Amino acid sequence: MGSAANVSGQAYAFMAMTPVKPGEEDALATYLRGLRGRGPSPLAKLPRTHMARWLIVPDMPVAPRTHARDPLGGQYLLFTSNFDGDVDSYLHELVELMADEAAAIWSHCIGCPQPAEGAALKAYLHRNQVDSGFAFAAYGHASVARVKTALDKRARLVDFVVRAQAMAPAERREAFLKEFGSA
Amino acid sequence: MSAHTAPAGPVTATGTDARNVDGQAIAITVFSTVKWWGRLFLPLLFFFTARIPKLTGTLAKLSFIHFARWTIVKKLPYNGEPQVKQKLRYAHMYFESNFNGGWEEYIDAFSHILTRGMTAFWGSSYGFPKPLPTAPFKSYIQVNEIEADHYYSAYPEATSTMIQRALVLDEKLAPLKRDAERMDPDAFAAAYRAFLCDVQHCL
Repeated sequence: MGSAANVSGQAYAFMAMTPVKPGEEDALATYLRGLRGRGPSPLAKLPRTHMARWLIVPDMPVAPRTHARDPLGGQYLLFTSNFDGDVDSYLHELVELMADEAAAIWSHCIGCPQPAEGAALKAYLHRNQVDSGFAFAAYGHASVARVKTALDKRARLVDFVVRAQAMAPAERREAFLKEFGSA
Repeated sequence: MSAHTAPAGPVTATGTDARNVDGQAIAITVFSTVKWWGRLFLPLLFFFTARIPKLTGTLAKLSFIHFARWTIVKKLPYNGEPQVKQKLRYAHMYFESNFNGGWEEYIDAFSHILTRGMTAFWGSSYGFPKPLPTAPFKSYIQVNEIEADHYYSAYPEATSTMIQRALVLDEKLAPLKRDAERMDPDAFAAAYRAFLCDVQHCL
């Protein structure tokens, strides 16, 4: 679903802009900014997420010495995520695996279903999706799981190379098979 | 910052608000207002940039970028009252990047290496001062940048270069793993040495 321009390799670039209810901007900002202090990011519950952000757009910035003012008439919550695979199943995971936080966040937005959960919230996010024009991914072929596995193997190999310097050939082969044989 | 992992090396993320940072990763988020002709030009630019590898090659060479995107916002979905129902007067270009390193160095590299590309992408935006010299351009970005309220990276300890090297290493490790079982120690020693020579740039 969405434009092909959202896709780079197997990575998908999602973006949604939803209007914040007047008077609830500060509460939403406080909640989002407080997520860091409450343990791991809720986005860690979505194992396909590479990188993501929430931010509140107060208004469209106006460049100095220009007249290009374009007031939004209210603040918007912007959510973007770079993740593996298709958007439909990702949003399903978002509303299921991150249900409490998703409800706490998008219930501050105009038009969000009450309760802010399940298929209705997923449809709301779909409806407010803004397609990418051009998305770039430096390693768009690699999933989060593959990236983490590769980083882990690299760290283990660096460690192994140092340890193996003092080993005899037979011992080194045996140690290598033990370390990486089933990896 | 994600609590699940700490950066393995020194944190290089500098020059931006703490909320834009997760470990080594930095978020930059910029809106710019587009002149009338940009509404026509930018979709063509995006179309050809996505399809001509040479055009994205330079972007890929900026090895500190993980993900980036450009989006034209022409309208916003209406969700009912009390959302103000109004047509945007202008198109707005949204740019975000996920990168590692310093904010200043990032803008410097973009300006010096992607000078023509930057002009192509932002030339239709109001107030764009050209990429060089960098000082006015940095001011322009700062005025148009919005700080993240929450930013997340699944692997905050890793730079983009580290990830790309780890992926290459993983591919090259596979055949050695496969063949090691049936090699005698001397044959393995030779293969191991050849492997290390091949992947030393990835370690």
